[in-house]
Amino acid sequence: MSTKTIAGISRPGTPHFVGDGFRVHNFIPGTSTMQEMDPFIMLDYNSRYSFAPSEIPRGVGVHPHKGFETVTIAYRGKVEHADSTGSGGVINEGDVQWMTAAKGILHKEFHEKEWSKKGGDFQMVQLWVNLPARYKKSDPKYQNLRNTDMQKVALPGNGGEIEIIAGEYNGHKGSASTFSPINVFNAKLKKGAEATFNFPAHYTTAILLVEGSAKVNGTDIVPQDHFAMFNRDGETFTIEAVEDAVVLVLSGEPLQEPIAAHGPFVMNTRQELVEAFDEFNQGKFGYLED
Amino acid sequence: MKQAGFSTYLYANTELDDDLIRSITENCRSVWYKKNEFLLRQGDICRQVFFVEQGLLRQYSIDEKGKEHILYFAPENWLVADRESIFFNEPGSYFIQALEDSKVTIADQSFINNLAEHNPSFLTFNNRLLHNHIRHLQKRITQLLSATAEERYLDFIKIYPDILLRVPQAMVASYLGITPESLSRVRKDLAQRHFKS
Repeated sequence: MSTKTIAGISRPGTPHFVGDGFRVHNFIPGTSTMQEMDPFIMLDYNSRYSFAPSEIPRGVGVHPHKGFETVTIAYRGKVEHADSTGSGGVINEGDVQWMTAAKGILHKEFHEKEWSKKGGDFQMVQLWVNLPARYKKSDPKYQNLRNTDMQKVALPGNGGEIEIIAGEYNGHKGSASTFSPINVFNAKLKKGAEATFNFPAHYTTAILLVEGSAKVNGTDIVPQDHFAMFNRDGETFTIEAVEDAVVLVLSGEPLQEPIAAHGPFVMNTRQELVEAFDEFNQGKFGYLED
Repeated sequence: MKQAGFSTYLYANTELDDDLIRSITENCRSVWYKKNEFLLRQGDICRQVFFVEQGLLRQYSIDEKGKEHILYFAPENWLVADRESIFFNEPGSYFIQALEDSKVTIADQSFINNLAEHNPSFLTFNNRLLHNHIRHLQKRITQLLSATAEERYLDFIKIYPDILLRVPQAMVASYLGITPESLSRVRKDLAQRHFKS
């Protein structure tokens, strides 16, 4: 097996607010195109940011999604959400919410009410995973992945653990079901510990340094809050924690299907996009009170 | 379409010859407006025509009680001006404002007048634009006089399929001449009829 090398390291760009509750750096498609990052179509990173207490929870009001999945990974803070299928709940610290928007959904997401009153450090990732064409019109669903239920693989020598959100690490499977081969891990590494990862060469692979800094393949230093994209030149790479680190590892098989995207809709053709707007306008995604 | 070029628009929507289109675009300039910036204010005399390459504008008035009334939204590919103020050379009643960071091609009215005077094909095009504008306004007056809130909304989404995702609902309500609560009701009624879980 040959080494998967780093293609580039991106520092976090100027943050922008999504609604008033998410202060994010955009890495996908910001640092490349949706096609290059296939099957990952968007990654917004709310780096650690302290929100002042607020009686009225900050967040994003009612908005639609269609044609893909949103994956919200809560590192710090709590998010309350509700949607037009009648579902709702709280994403607690350490939890992951995997929402399949598929044929269309309206939802809203806010800082959890009690958390908002106290305020504090907030840190999250929102990742959009594209759906294969044949699943774009399937029913919406949720997977609430609680941290306590997540599959974790301990590293030798008390070096930390790999938390498997989706996919497979060293024969251990994560609990999220996906529509195409996707690996999403949190590598929680103690200072000096090293973990090895194996993914097929053609998979789209990237890491985000959520905490601390790390050395990849013994050579490339990736600082905190930086995003590194890999080449499609090999299968194996190593991450060594320069200091205690949390590294989000993403690797997925490209769908290699045409992408027609506009705002919150990601379809395969322009015609399907026009239909998506029409369905949204006509109330076909349901209704959700602001 | 996220970005529209003025010359592409002219090629697609007019029968002007290549030289004329080149001359028009050479005499226009592109300007970026920040979100919330004004292109025209109430009381100013409008002396320019605006073509939206990227972004979103609105033309609106403010009544004596301070309430805003939106006459129209202008997303990509729309050509806008306060025609009344331009033609009669009078202070206008409207604001034109960017609702998103917008790239706008600007043509001076003196240049447009000169073109219309010397160019029959441009005059025909300008006439068509004007009559299209009248048709749009007539339809809008009839709707405001006689259509239900739902009928107005259904017509709005045909003209502006993506505006609901780009502006606050209160602005859409202002355009429709209804309260934000009525707009919510209309959308809720539609969803109850159309949503199949």
